[in-house]
This record gives sequence, C-alpha cells and structure tokens, in this order.
Amino acid sequence: MKTSIALGVWAYMVVAVLAEVEVFYMITAYSTAAAVITVLATSQAVAVVLFYMQLKDEPGSLRLFALIPIMFLSALFIALLASLG
Amino acid sequence: MTESWIKRWLFTTNHKDVGLLYFFTSCYFGFIGAILALLMRVQLSVPNNNFLSALYYNQAVTMHGLIMIFWFLSPIALGLANYFVPLQIGAEDLAFPRINAMSYWLYLAGGILAVLSFFVPGGTANAGWTTYQPLAVLSLGTGPTLAYLGMVLLAASVTLGSVNFMVSIIWLRAAGVTLSKLPMFTWFMLFTIIAMLFAFPTLIAAFVLASADRIIGTTFFTSTGVQPSILWDNLFWFFGHPEVYIVLLPGFGIIANVLPQFTGRPLAGKTAILVATGLIVVPLSFGVWMHHMFLTGIPVSLQGAFSVATIAISIPFDIITLSFVESLIRGRVKFATPMLFALGGVVLFIIGGITGVFLSSPVLDRVFRGSYFVVSHFHYVMVGAAIFGIIAGIYYWLPRMTGRMYNERLGKIHFVLSFLGFNVLYFPMNLLFDMPRRIFTYSNIGDWGMLNGLATLGSFIFALAQILLAYNVINTWYRGPIAPANPWGSPDLEWNSHVEGMTPAMDSSVTPPAGGWIGQLATASDVHGPSATAAPGGHYGHLSSRPIEISLGALVFLAGTAFYPGPAGLGLMVVGALVVVYSFWGWGMDDLHDKFVVPPEPEGDRWPFSAVPKLKLGMWVFLSSEVVLFGSFLGAYVFIRAATAQWPIAGSIHEIPLGTFNTLVLVTSGFTMFLALQSIRNGDQRKLMAWLAATFVLGALFMGVKVAEWTNLGNGGFILANPAMSLAASAYFIVVGLHGAHVTAGLLLMLYLMKKTTRGFYTKDSHEAIENFGLYWAFVDIVWCFVFPLFYLL
Repeated sequence: MKTSIALGVWAYMVVAVLAEVEVFYMITAYSTAAAVITVLATSQAVAVVLFYMQLKDEPGSLRLFALIPIMFLSALFIALLASLG
Repeated sequence: MTESWIKRWLFTTNHKDVGLLYFFTSCYFGFIGAILALLMRVQLSVPNNNFLSALYYNQAVTMHGLIMIFWFLSPIALGLANYFVPLQIGAEDLAFPRINAMSYWLYLAGGILAVLSFFVPGGTANAGWTTYQPLAVLSLGTGPTLAYLGMVLLAASVTLGSVNFMVSIIWLRAAGVTLSKLPMFTWFMLFTIIAMLFAFPTLIAAFVLASADRIIGTTFFTSTGVQPSILWDNLFWFFGHPEVYIVLLPGFGIIANVLPQFTGRPLAGKTAILVATGLIVVPLSFGVWMHHMFLTGIPVSLQGAFSVATIAISIPFDIITLSFVESLIRGRVKFATPMLFALGGVVLFIIGGITGVFLSSPVLDRVFRGSYFVVSHFHYVMVGAAIFGIIAGIYYWLPRMTGRMYNERLGKIHFVLSFLGFNVLYFPMNLLFDMPRRIFTYSNIGDWGMLNGLATLGSFIFALAQILLAYNVINTWYRGPIAPANPWGSPDLEWNSHVEGMTPAMDSSVTPPAGGWIGQLATASDVHGPSATAAPGGHYGHLSSRPIEISLGALVFLAGTAFYPGPAGLGLMVVGALVVVYSFWGWGMDDLHDKFVVPPEPEGDRWPFSAVPKLKLGMWVFLSSEVVLFGSFLGAYVFIRAATAQWPIAGSIHEIPLGTFNTLVLVTSGFTMFLALQSIRNGDQRKLMAWLAATFVLGALFMGVKVAEWTNLGNGGFILANPAMSLAASAYFIVVGLHGAHVTAGLLLMLYLMKKTTRGFYTKDSHEAIENFGLYWAFVDIVWCFVFPLFYLL
C-alpha cells in the first residue's frame, strides 16, 4: 500500500475523531448523536482493519475469518440489550 | 529419577510429552472431581442425611462442576489432541511448541489456584459451578476469589492453545494431507478449537468482572437496579452453551474415527457429518444460550427465538447419529473395547439428546429446569457421550502410545461396569424430575429415597470401574504384549506415517523396543538439548524453561491478587509480575540468541490459508479472540448503561479535550507504525528504527496522559468507593485499564523489536515480526476507536 493512502487514512481518522466530538457538542438529541458517533467509530475501525492491517489485500479466506467474531459479538450485543425487555 | 528426567518433564515443549502431561494431570483433577461427586452422592443416598453440612455440600457441588468441566473433560481431550493431531496431519510438532507448553503450565497453575481455594479460611466457592451473580457475592472469603482467578488462568491457557491448534491444523499439514483427507478426530478438534477460540474470551471477561468485584470493590454485580443476574447469565451462558459442544465434540470425533476400523467400512455420511458439525453445530452453538435463561424473565419473543434455535441444533446431531447408525448397520461390527465404548457413547448421547429436546421448550423447561431431570440430561451428554468417546480413544490409541496391547478382557469388563454404573447412576435422576436439585438434603417423599440410593450405588460402580481402566493402562505400559504395528488396520496417518524425516516412534512399521516407546522416551531425555536436535523419541526435542517460569509468575501474581490489599498479597503480586516480565524478556532473548529454534516446516497442504504466513495467521487468530474479549467487556458496559437509570452526564466526568488529544496521539501512532513497516519493506533499517521510536514515544505519551487522567479522576471523586460514581468508575477503570494493559504490553514488545532492529535482524525480505506487531498495534488502535466515544461522548 502506498504511503499516501496511509496518510489519507490517518487524515480521515483525525477528521472522524474531531467530527465525533463536534457531534457531541452540536447534536442534543441523544439517540441521533449516538447513532452518528457509532457510525463514525465503526468507519474508523473499518479503515484501520482494511488499510493499516491490510485486510483488503489478504486472501478471501482470511477476510471471511475476520468476520466470524463480529458475527458472534453482534449476537451477544443484540441479545444483551433485548434481554432487558 | 535423574536430574535430566525431571528437567525434561518440566521444560519439555514436545507435543507428545505435553500431551502426556495434559493427560495425566487431567486424570488427577478428574480423580479430585470424582471424590467430590462421591461425597455428594453419599450425602444424598438417604433422606435427611447429615454426612455433609449444607456449606460443605455446596462447596462439593461447585468445585465438582468446575473441576470436572474445566480441568478434566476438556484437558483430557487436549491431551489426546496434543499427542495425535500432529501425527494425524503428518507434522513434527504443533506450530508454536513453547506456547503449547505454556498452555499446559497455565492450565496447571489455574488448577492449583482452584484447589488451593479449599485450604483457605472459609473454604472454596459454594454458589454452584455457574457461579451465578449476585448470589455468588454472598460467598465471602478468599477461597472463591482464588477459584475465580484460577478460571481466568485456565481460560487464558485455552485461548493460547486454541490459537496453536488452529494454526497447526491449517498450516502444518504434510503434503497430500488435504482437508478432505483429515481424520475425523482432527476435524472434530478443529471444530472444538473454533468454538473455544470465541467462547472462552467471554468467560475471561465474566470472571474478571466478578473477581474485580471481590478484590478491588467494583460494583458490576452488586449494584441494585442494573439487573446483574441478567448480565452474568448472558456472559456466562454465551460461553457456557458452546462449552457443551467443546466438551462433546472431541469424544464424537474419536467415535467417528473409531467406527470405520471396527465396522470394516468407511464412515457413512462423512461429508454430511462434517457439514452438519462445522456449518451448523458450531455457529449455532453461539445462538442458543438463552435457553438457560427461560426462567429469568427475559421477553417471551426471545424465549421463542431461542427455543426454535435450540430445537434446530438437534437436527445436525440427528444427521451425525443416523450416520453412525448407518455405519453400524452396513458394516460387520467387531466388538473390541474401543468399539464398545464408542457404541456406548452413541447410546448415551441419544438418551441425553432426547431429554435435551424437552428442555428447549420454555413451558417444559419451567418444570424441569430446577430438578434432577436436568442433572441427568447434562451428565448423559457431557459425561456419557464425551467420556465414553474419550475412553474409546484411550483404548484405541494405547497400542500407538505404548507399543503394547492392552488386556481386552479387562477392557470389556471395564465397559460393562461403566455402562451399567453410569445408567444406574443417572437414569433414576430422570424419574426424579419432581425433586429439586441444589438442595443438600431432602425429606422422604415418594420414591426419592429409593431412587437416590440407586443413583449412589451406580456412582460407586461407575467410579470403581475406572480403577480397571487405570490398572489396564499401567499394566499395558509396563507388561503388555508387544502390539502389532497397526492393530486396527487403520488407514490414518498416525498408524502409517511415512512422511519425510519420520523417526522410529512415528513409524508404526518399526517394532517398538522392550519398554515401549514411552519407556524409551523416558530414558532418552539427554537428547532434549536446548537447540533443535533430532531425538530418537521421534521428533526434534526442545527444552525451554520460559513456559513454566511465566506460568509460575502468573500463579504467584494471581495468588497475590486474591489476597490484595494485604501486604503479603501486594508482595506476591510484585514478585509474580517481575517473574512474568523477566521470563518473557528471557523468551525474547532466547530467540535473539537462537537458543530455541523451530526448524522450518516443509511445504505442505495449507488450503485455504496457503498465502498467509504461519505467524501472521497466528496473530490474526489471536486477535479474533481478542475481538470477543474486548467486545464482551464493551457489551457488558453497554448493558449496564442501558439498564441504569442514572448515569453521569457525558462531559461531566471526563475532560473531552484531553481525551480527544490522547485519541489523536494513539491514532497517529498507528500511522507511524505503518511507516515503520513501510520502511523495512524498502530495506531501510534506519528509518524503521526512527518510526518504531516515534511509535513508542506516542504510545508512552498516550499512557502518560492516561495515568494523569486517572489521577485527576480519583482526586475529583470518580472512585469506586463513591456510591454515586461507583458503577461508572468500575466500568471505566476496568475497560480502559484493560486497554492500557494492552498498550503497555505493546510498548514492551516495541522495546524488544527496537533492540533487534539495532542488531540488524530485520531486512527487506525478513521482517515478519514487524508486520505482526503492526497488526497488534492497529488492533489496540481499533479498540480505542470504540472506547473513546463510549466513555467520553455517550
């Protein structure tokens, strides 16, 4: 991967972090702010996985494997919240 | 007993040695678990008995469950897997021999902590093996804490072992050993390992939270209004239900491995069995845990969904069982001892499986959940099917391990007594569906006295029968007749190894020496030198003191933690931590000076990860379990936030500008780490050093800011002892602390990488360690991407 792309990812991360803080100060509706911030955080994580960890250049089998814990965790998160009723 | 003999068994990293260590240690823990079970059965043998007090009975129940499940059932399978998986795939050892040894010693260290808990004032844990919170909070004293910390060590051991086995099975297969040719035992171990990899991190999270409540006064399970019982149930059973399959699948793998040799035909429906297990049982095992929570008041819609999932998971087992039955019908069955135990395992599983279907119904579960019907069900599955399968494996492979033949008649008597004893023990419990479990004594109601008496009789028959197994194994080992090279005519590689570099003990066509291979290995310890040396025992032998040193350090550290904040506790913690750091550093130095060298593996069959190097695959597998670990902590935090009505307003506790600055520091360190990797890819060692140093400085700055933040928070009243802040502080300090521990470990690793860089270890063509560390550091970055907004902004 080219250094310029890595620099772009870093720049995006910085902007996303600042955007999260901006959203915190600007949006007063909690659920809206939470949704936007969650999307921003997830996008940063995806950027790091794809570019810094270079998963985008790995074989499909490894990319598939990397999804398995996410799948199980999603089940845990959904059930945890759902069990509150 | 020579010095070299002791040195060998303490420092070995050889897969066969480690397998035997696992095997005999798990038998020892199994013995302790069995004694506890017999004490319980004596207490319950007659109504109104006072053989044990309520407290001792509860302790016996709790530790019987914990020891049998965690220190006996899974590890004994891991013992056989250690010994035979490398042989079945044509490898000389597991992928990471020292990590394999460390897994064993951590397992033993955890077991020692758990057993030590019996001997401290107040005794051991007594809230049941499920350690339901907040009920378990009432079990005061250091004993339960020791047991919990033992569980944390055990889970860490299992996670490391899972990474090792997964990489080994994928990466070390000899040429020609394609996935389709893998023996069934190895296949089922692979499935088991996948389940372990993703289930155990949640257990670690659960027990870390529970231990933190006991040791440092966090309030995860003691706060009112948070529904702590629901949180515990979710975390525990998210691990707990896959654990059923983790225990069961190795036994099933052995049964599937054994059946063809004694039916004279290939296993019927092999592909169907593999698809059913790999694509349905393992994933779905993570989607049924809430059937353990039907009585906790979870919404009816959830009960329905998990009821359907629970019924669905019985379908693949129908496929597996019917395939076994078809193999029997179409084959000519030879009733040798391994086959008898395999058949027994199938029969017991069918009984256990059928009773399990009743429990998938929320309505019936309401009646049965608290009764002995459930005790019968899970023992039929977890003891019957799993242990009968394991015993089948012991008899099946004993000639391969010892070069000698066991006593067949004794084996058959052992089977008859075991099968009889097991059913006399557990079948009456099905009829005790109206008797509550978890009581230490009972009145003489209906047939309760008679049925319990019968169960106790069965327990002694079953226990005494195992003495025959022990006698048969020892007798075979020392006096059994020399076994044929391949007594069962198996086509599998462990009996027919002809891989390149194979040595006498791997080659089943070579007649074993008078003392059997084990005897020969035991006297050949002098060949296990510090460097890679071909040993007449069969495989290259390595000694390393680091695995036992690290495990000992961890044991001392956690023992100290249990006694914290006492001065002795603090002292032990410091000593333990120093030993761990010193040993890890020594591990690195051993590598640096080539004191422990694993020979390069020959080209083999590595699909579907052919293009991924071994260490990188190991790192990805490890990080995938880390995802579940952090996810479990964050999931617990989100649950607590959602369940708590009053929470400090975001921005009122943490300084957002400082947190933002620190986040940007960590984000930038991810970029500098990338630049370090890019530099060495271009062959520039000077730049590599510069960017590694920059990453180190940024990481250290991040930690420095964190420490300053924590100090300020403490001074501002954000502490565990402040009732208004306790829960928020608990969550923050545990999650951020765990992340900080990862950053600190990364900083230490970076020091080591920089030391190697100064010595010119990394080149354009050889820099795998830098690449793998880059993965780790990026992961630490990712975790913070979620920690920062969750704790500072939301």
